[in-house]
Amino acid sequence: MSAAAVTTPPVTTTQVYQVFIRATPEAIWEAITNPDFTEKYFYGARNEYTDSRRLSKGPDGQLYGDEEVMEYDPPRRLVHGWRSLYSPEMAAEQPSRVTWEIAPQDGGYCLLTVVHDQLEGAPKTAESVSGEGWMMVLSGLKTLVETGAPMAG
Amino acid sequence: MVTYSVGMDDDDAVFRALADPTRRLLLDRLYERDGRTLSELVGEQEEMTRFGVMKHLRVLESAGLVVTRRAGREKLHFLNPVPVRLIHDRWISKYAERQVSALAELKTELEDTA
Repeated sequence: MSAAAVTTPPVTTTQVYQVFIRATPEAIWEAITNPDFTEKYFYGARNEYTDSRRLSKGPDGQLYGDEEVMEYDPPRRLVHGWRSLYSPEMAAEQPSRVTWEIAPQDGGYCLLTVVHDQLEGAPKTAESVSGEGWMMVLSGLKTLVETGAPMAG
Repeated sequence: MVTYSVGMDDDDAVFRALADPTRRLLLDRLYERDGRTLSELVGEQEEMTRFGVMKHLRVLESAGLVVTRRAGREKLHFLNPVPVRLIHDRWISKYAERQVSALAELKTELEDTA
């Protein structure tokens, strides 16, 4: 490796996000997989899933994501590939992987966990989704499911 | 686990966890590099025992600010910023809006009387 590689900060190759949501697993699954919901909290993206494919489209129909679905187990677990097609620079990086887990808790709550990993070949994507990226998606999803309203602003 | 059900949707747990400088430092360390073992975190806190770091990590975990995952034989600690965002949405932006609208009203009032 070159000397430059030594001074580069270590790339985070796995990211984990969690949020408690007061809703049934079915309602949360619906919020994750129904494009009419996703466009309200996922940066305007309409995300559609089959048991083998994930399509994500921007407001004008442009392709944000087109990846394989590896696991489709409603309403508990969804695993799919990730490439950031909304940015030419990030789209050129290696694909990574996103896992959604819905775990029912006491008191009518579920714990929603998102693990974005296999980011070894996608440092720009890793940086992009780690800032406001997933944090905004999950806080927006919680607000939408619990109150029926998208986050203002 | 008692702290779990109480801390599930509880701003108090997040504020309490953030009220301690050592815990904020641990969050900063995870922000710099995520997914670390207890030993790695202890190694950076020269003035703290393994037990002390463990205790603080437990508080952060029950507030939802740190999430642990197993990777083989290792337990890795990850920074989870979502509770901070929720606090921001519920508290900070609320008061920021009020401040803005108060200023807007003041402006209207001053201009009307001028």
